[in-house]
Amino acid sequence: MTLLVSAGLSFLGLSALCLSLSRHHQAVWSAPPDRRRALALRAAGWVLVALSLAAAIGLDGGTFGPVHWLGSLIAAGLCLIVALSYRPRAVVWMAPAAAVLAAVAALGSMA
Amino acid sequence: MKKGFRQSMAWLHTWSGLVVGWVLFAVFVTGTASYYRAEISRWMQPELRREATVTPDALAQAADLAVAHLQANAAGARMWFVTLPTAERPLVELFWRTRPGTPPGHVLLDPRTGGPAELRATKGGDFFYRFHFELHLPPLWGRWIVGICAMIMLVALVSGVITHRRIFSDFFTLRRDKAAQRGWLDAHNVSGVLALPFHLMITYTGVVTLALMYMPWGVTAAYHGDQQAYFAETGQITQGRPPAGQPGTLAPVGPMVREAMARIPEPLERLTIINPRDANATVVAVFEEPHGLSHEHPQVAFAGTSGTVVEVLSGGLRPAAKTFTTMVGLHEAHFAGPALRVLFFLCGLMGCAMVGSGLVLWCVARLPKAGAPAGLGWRLVHGLNVGAIAGLPAGIAAYLLANRLLPLDLAGRAEREVWVFFGTWIVVAVAGSLPAPRRAWRGATALVAALFVAVVVADLATAQATWDDPAWFLGFDAALLALAAGFAVISHKVDRFAAPRRARAAAGGQAGEPQMGPA
Repeated sequence: MTLLVSAGLSFLGLSALCLSLSRHHQAVWSAPPDRRRALALRAAGWVLVALSLAAAIGLDGGTFGPVHWLGSLIAAGLCLIVALSYRPRAVVWMAPAAAVLAAVAALGSMA
Repeated sequence: MKKGFRQSMAWLHTWSGLVVGWVLFAVFVTGTASYYRAEISRWMQPELRREATVTPDALAQAADLAVAHLQANAAGARMWFVTLPTAERPLVELFWRTRPGTPPGHVLLDPRTGGPAELRATKGGDFFYRFHFELHLPPLWGRWIVGICAMIMLVALVSGVITHRRIFSDFFTLRRDKAAQRGWLDAHNVSGVLALPFHLMITYTGVVTLALMYMPWGVTAAYHGDQQAYFAETGQITQGRPPAGQPGTLAPVGPMVREAMARIPEPLERLTIINPRDANATVVAVFEEPHGLSHEHPQVAFAGTSGTVVEVLSGGLRPAAKTFTTMVGLHEAHFAGPALRVLFFLCGLMGCAMVGSGLVLWCVARLPKAGAPAGLGWRLVHGLNVGAIAGLPAGIAAYLLANRLLPLDLAGRAEREVWVFFGTWIVVAVAGSLPAPRRAWRGATALVAALFVAVVVADLATAQATWDDPAWFLGFDAALLALAAGFAVISHKVDRFAAPRRARAAAGGQAGEPQMGPA
């Protein structure tokens, strides 16, 4: 369950980070982000990545948490990069799906 | 050399990566497969019947059976190793060592009958596991070669990070619409940078696992080279008991097994019996690792002739020893459940992709100009690339295929499977170096895909009747088909690839050093 929570949050965070870069923003929305939008995306990205680490440590403790976090971060990054390369616009629905996944998995692991 | 720091590092990265790349690729592939070592072994012995549970009584009985077999067949040995049955693998596996330099004795017993287990002979997943750090060479040679390559890999990783100009802005970039060199560079960067924490961890901890062999001086100075004394003093194994030189009779081990299990909550994994016919014989019960990152097996040592407990070892390592066992634990990832294991496997695949794409990139960046003949160096690297990147997977598929197709009662069956593995690898490597590069890649990767499909067909045709859990075997076969599909896609892409027009027009002029960022 932890893996899903932290993979979902990592995916969201990495998506925000990647959309803060003009090349990828342009591929999805056909225009580069303005400065404020880029900064907001970047901040949101780092916060979400940090949150995924915090969630993993909170759920699995200081020993296994970071290991699970790194594994899910790498897997989420791989999904994102492959999606960007083949179907950049898919990020528009994949990010909300990742959010739902993280929320459902978080509820599941608390229950 | 009047060059900038980054250019020097680019040079170092290119050449340190190239010289060890082929060995590293093999180490990465077999290491990645080793995450599923137990599953591969199970698939390769489909006759094995799993059991719901193994009771303590059954374990004690199995231990007695094992010792009876060893007393009768390996009386002169210095050490006996008994792996006890588990529900997943209800077998008793015996190893014994008579003297250094001679190969150890080995037999698999059926714990119910005490006779040899009715299973096809194979090295199973253990072959990949041992190849991963010994390359099927004499152990010392293999471990030194792998260790040196891993150390050079650390050099390549660090110099690669320094060389990479735009690590953050190119983090998510995998361009497929540019020149071939650009695409391969992106693939190399993505597989390397994204899983960089894994690559650094696995390479460093891999060297640490055998650090005492590579750097023995501390133990030489403090323990006169006696590694066992060092391991015992740091609390990783029980204290050694030197032989008395007087003959002694081993007490029944069944009661010792029960006694040990009463003291340690983890499942009992194996027994080590040292100097079994000496008055100072020692029986050590070794348990599975408790849940945690650290690789430390709880142990209970018994005086062999009386059966009394002499030492109980469970946790309590000092920080230095704990650091070492945690690194070994991280490398082996025994702690990983099914989901985390998939992620480790994925990271391993990304390691294979990083090494493989780096090797291919060397060739793509130095493609001979249209009409010009390729130099000897280029052809050598290209041939070794095809031989390693397609030849090794072909060998693996052929190894699995041999497991299903060789006659079950063939003498030396397990060794023949290994011959098939190396034979296929060599044939693909030699045949792959002959045709034009694109045809070689297309043909070799198509062959790998076909071989993996053939493994599944052979499995369905010959072994289906013996499966104890069809869903499990079908799952394994599905994974093999996924590998086949992966290689088929690569073959198809090699066949269809045409550089975009703009890139093609620009190509021809620039085939210098590979650039790690936009030039």
